[in-house]
Amino acid sequence: MISFYKKILALCVAVLFAQSLVADEQIDLKNRFLEKIKEVTLIVENKELSKDERNRNIVKSLTPMFDFELMAKLSLGTAWRELSQENADKFVELYVERMKHSYSAKIDAYEDEKVEVKSIDQPQPNRIALVTDLVSKEEKLEIVYKYHKPKTKAADKDEWLIYDVEIIGVSILKTDRAQFKEFLRTKSIVDLMDALAKQS
Amino acid sequence: MILMFTFLFTLSGCSTNTIEQPKEVTLNQDRDDFNGELEGFFDEFEVEEIYDPFSGYNRAMTTFNDKAYEYVIKPVAKGYKYVIHEEVRESVRNFFNNLYFPIRATNNLLQGKFYNTYEETGRFIINTTVGILGFFDPAKVHFNLEAHEEDFGQTLGFYGVGSGPHIVLPLLGPSNLRDLLSMYPDALLSPIDYTERSYWTLTDTWSEYLGARTFEEVNYISLDMEKYDEIKQDAIDLYPYLRDIYEQYRKKQIEE
Repeated sequence: MISFYKKILALCVAVLFAQSLVADEQIDLKNRFLEKIKEVTLIVENKELSKDERNRNIVKSLTPMFDFELMAKLSLGTAWRELSQENADKFVELYVERMKHSYSAKIDAYEDEKVEVKSIDQPQPNRIALVTDLVSKEEKLEIVYKYHKPKTKAADKDEWLIYDVEIIGVSILKTDRAQFKEFLRTKSIVDLMDALAKQS
Repeated sequence: MILMFTFLFTLSGCSTNTIEQPKEVTLNQDRDDFNGELEGFFDEFEVEEIYDPFSGYNRAMTTFNDKAYEYVIKPVAKGYKYVIHEEVRESVRNFFNNLYFPIRATNNLLQGKFYNTYEETGRFIINTTVGILGFFDPAKVHFNLEAHEEDFGQTLGFYGVGSGPHIVLPLLGPSNLRDLLSMYPDALLSPIDYTERSYWTLTDTWSEYLGARTFEEVNYISLDMEKYDEIKQDAIDLYPYLRDIYEQYRKKQIEE
């Protein structure tokens, strides 16, 4: 009987331990995220940098957090499979450039806003969603950063990578998928790449 | 035994760590990974197609709205912004927001959100009196009472009514059949409306109503001139882009 209780106890400890591992992973991710925000805030507040320099530094600091390549692939949906290798590489490159450009433009509009992490969800062992509030004087914007953990970690990338951002319920990736799909109904992938090139 | 378990766990933790950090890093992912690593993501992003039988009209109206914004509304808002101080414009926005209290309170109530209804009521009472007819917002600043945006479209959505076909409204922008029809019951609750009521309303005729609404919109836009351009910046094809943003945003509002 005593050994039975011991087994139960051991199981409890094991479960607790496993849970704390998961919790640690989430806390690590949250801390890493907040560190990045601090880093970016410092760059933004550095008045000695020119606007271009500043934006370049920010993009450089944020790039290891994002899985731009995956985003590019997912944005095309099934059309991705039909691309030639050459077009595929070019598309990824253009998509990444556009994302960086768009991010820089949004930083320009940045004004004394604070980021607060509201909650952390882990729907699957290799997915974590960081639910944050962007708090400004006027309002709170809910922004969700969706992370995945690739099977293999790239040298220049973090262990967990952002593959989608949801701003008050609007997913960047879903929106791109919808508009690319509609665009490709009447136009070709080359036209799409031209349009992307114009944006960055 | 406990020790053994702990030991085993630490060990397994270590072993996965070593597996997860390979010496060689493959940067060029194979393009056949479509059915492998990407598969899990595809389920997540399989977007339900938005029902859009009026896409031809919607597209034309989006272009019209975009041009109207660019060449008429934006310049007017810019001029207005230049002349009127920001604090005054904020007060005007507060005033209109306060008038919409019956819409928000009723729809919160209809969805069983009693605490939100209570907060809204508190806000209305405080802001109408201490906040001088709603021009100021002491309820938020001093009493920490938050506004809770709800309209009849959200109430219908809350009870499972689908959005129906997407419809772009002249000047008002993206909407859908559910939200369009919901404008009527909301208008019945709006003290800005011009129809005959047994109580005070802001306007008495159609033209006064139009004037008041235009003023409200121009004032609202003047407070964040860059908003539309910032959103538009990432559009490859403006109509489906705005349509999707609207439907995703409404879905989120209804879920809350």
